Amino acid sequence: MDISPILDGFGVVLEPTNLLYCLIGVIIGMLIGVLPGLGPGATIAILLPITYGIGPVSAIIMLAGIFYGAQYGGTITSVLLRLPGEASSVVTVFDGFALAKQGKAGTALGIAAIGSFIGGTVSIIGLTLVAPVVAGFALDFGPPEYAALGILGVLLISSIGNGNKLKAIIAACVGLLIATVGRDTFTGAERFTFGSLNLAEGIDFIPIAMGLFGLSEILYNLEERHNQVHAPAKVGNVWPSRKDLGQASGAIGRGSLIGFVLGVLPGGGAVLSSLAAYALEKRRAKQPERFGKGAVEGVAAPETANNAAATSSFIPLLTLGIPANATMALMFGALLIQGIQPGPQLVTEHPDVFWGVINSMYIGNILLLIMSIPMVGVFVRILRVRPAIMAPITVLITLLGAYTVRNQVYDIFLVIAFGVLGYLMKKFGFEPGPLVLAFVLGSMIESSARQGLLIFGGDPTGFVTRPISGTIFALILAVAAWPLIRKALPRKTSVERVEEKIK
Amino acid sequence: MPTSRTAPRRILLGVVGAAAAVALTACGGVKTTSSGGGDGEYPTGNIEFSVGASAGGSTDLITRALAQGIGKELGVSTPVLNKPGANGALNAKELQSAKPDGYKIAVQNASLFTITPLTVSPAEATKIDSFDVITGISRDDYVMATSAQSGYKSIDDLKKAGKTIRYGTTGVGTGAQLASALTFKTAGIESTAVPFDGGAPNLTALLGNQVDVSTMQIGEAIENIKGGKLVPLAVFSKERIPFLPDVKTAKEQGYDVQVTQYRFLTAPKGTPENVKAKLLDAAKKTFATTEYKKFNEENSLTPMEVSPQEVLTSLQNDSATFKAQLDKYGINLAG
Repeated sequence: MDISPILDGFGVVLEPTNLLYCLIGVIIGMLIGVLPGLGPGATIAILLPITYGIGPVSAIIMLAGIFYGAQYGGTITSVLLRLPGEASSVVTVFDGFALAKQGKAGTALGIAAIGSFIGGTVSIIGLTLVAPVVAGFALDFGPPEYAALGILGVLLISSIGNGNKLKAIIAACVGLLIATVGRDTFTGAERFTFGSLNLAEGIDFIPIAMGLFGLSEILYNLEERHNQVHAPAKVGNVWPSRKDLGQASGAIGRGSLIGFVLGVLPGGGAVLSSLAAYALEKRRAKQPERFGKGAVEGVAAPETANNAAATSSFIPLLTLGIPANATMALMFGALLIQGIQPGPQLVTEHPDVFWGVINSMYIGNILLLIMSIPMVGVFVRILRVRPAIMAPITVLITLLGAYTVRNQVYDIFLVIAFGVLGYLMKKFGFEPGPLVLAFVLGSMIESSARQGLLIFGGDPTGFVTRPISGTIFALILAVAAWPLIRKALPRKTSVERVEEKIK
Repeated sequence: MPTSRTAPRRILLGVVGAAAAVALTACGGVKTTSSGGGDGEYPTGNIEFSVGASAGGSTDLITRALAQGIGKELGVSTPVLNKPGANGALNAKELQSAKPDGYKIAVQNASLFTITPLTVSPAEATKIDSFDVITGISRDDYVMATSAQSGYKSIDDLKKAGKTIRYGTTGVGTGAQLASALTFKTAGIESTAVPFDGGAPNLTALLGNQVDVSTMQIGEAIENIKGGKLVPLAVFSKERIPFLPDVKTAKEQGYDVQVTQYRFLTAPKGTPENVKAKLLDAAKKTFATTEYKKFNEENSLTPMEVSPQEVLTSLQNDSATFKAQLDKYGINLAG
């Protein structure tokens, strides 16, 4: 393996500008991680247009910093207020807050920070080793493989996400439908454009993301007053004792692995891996009843896993150009704004972006470790800011930003329309994530499938006879059939229920 | 801590304020200055260049290089605005209805006027009559290439292969598609077009042997050609291209196919003569700088700094030739 591009990457990161953007990114990430409500997705969506003015490397370094920084910040409120700052820190609440009540808030935060650091670092090392290997295979990924991966991604995000599956599938279908708007790139036929030139090239990703993630969250949070805010628990010594560390070490190791693997999978990511890591620790524990009452592992495992996953989800994006989750879809958009096509050519054509971004994560994680242990008190105070101050400022930044991307007022209206749609979706229990990811993957699925058919001369069996796409399609079948299989399994034990159904 | 009630708010306001400031600076580049009311000699305010494509593409890079030079010559600032959409038609529609005062101009592509009208409805087609051409800028030629493993060296090799050739293009209604379709039809080679969304996916598919050949702009292929990963089969210009001196033209190989992309500076119809003369003069001075010449070379662009009349003649000839050739061979670009 040629390591000179990796070393050059460090050179890129250590440029003062990039270091500064890395710092800005992780600070913003910490901040929004601490503030309940506004998640990393919303923040990245809102800040997308700002990246237009800065170079591609700095921009992605900053956005990545926001993403993994939020994973650190989300812990703080989970532990101190019993209020997860981030969806991926929901499970941390159980044991984190219990520890805080026992006066061990510092221990919980310390363990979480150390776990996050280790999880993040393990995952970056994995990324450094795995990404070039995947990129080497990437040329074998032709249109049929992309079509298969896209379908798998939509299927996974709508079936394994948190929340109502049917609603997730509906949201994903709407996303697929929106992706069909615009001129058909194969025949030039107009689809759902209603004669408008604005719709001729389809609906742009950025206003959709800014509306559905950004504006809708702001609207929703304005309504959700956090009335029952507790006074933050007192933070004592944040350095965990040797005994606590020993107890958490196994959980940190397993959490790193789970996070890394689940982060790579399409539809996976930080939320899923934190849930999985927590469940695994509970199952493995000799006294599972300790969980929920202040088990150190219950904090260490999910916090380690969510950071590892946040990092490893960059692999499919940087090597294949496929966003694994909604936040990565935003990174995809950010690269496109910069005129960089994420895909197999990225590592050879833009090694500075590829390695610069990966290596910035080492630095970012060190910065975050410093910020989350000695400076934790500063971030706790931010919790006192009123939403009435935050909301109008963020709305202004969002709309202003939406305009600057293409300099068209039309885009502002799109953001507002999608903001309202996102707000209504949340009110009725739909997640916007599957919609956004399905939208991004939708056009990829359609064009890749059609390119594949053209390559095969119209013979669809080509999709299953090519080794890689065949394997992916087998996986798709397995995922689609899984609920049926799972349903069938326990029925065997309760024969009567099956008989009842037959009647 | 008794002071902590106000302190956090101040911190946060500071952060948000900084973010807002960043947002505002980001917009700093897009402020549009009014034309200055007509008194005083042109230009008295900013000259805005709009680009009908996103940042990073050839049209964008050329616009930025030219805008920088013209701004320096005329002593005003020249903000560049990207207005991508509908292959540049969106930007063209906006420009043609702008005030013809020389404060809003754009670099436009020939293909928008010569090839796109062949694939869209007549109402949607952009017409060159709605603009004043100020000067020609440069040519961006196409090359047909194959991967090194395929063993093909010329168009005749493709013919000898005796199978359906699958060719990648940079999209429907592009010069890349037109050039390939015409070549295969005149050579009598069975072929299927596989359109990709732009240059990068097209190149990736070719490198990965997903398609047999691809046609793309020279700047997109040249590094891989020099690196030996791609083998060029033909260029579609009238004469050989200095950047690839060993590559035969399609015409040399016996197939009369000439398709090239070129760009020119346009202003809304009815722009005053003295304004156009000023712009032309500034453009010419920019063309002469070593910096700009180096830019052309780095991006494999051939200078085509010709008069407006020559641009118009080229556009007319191309439109007529393409239409006749497509009719003759019964090719439908919209597939």
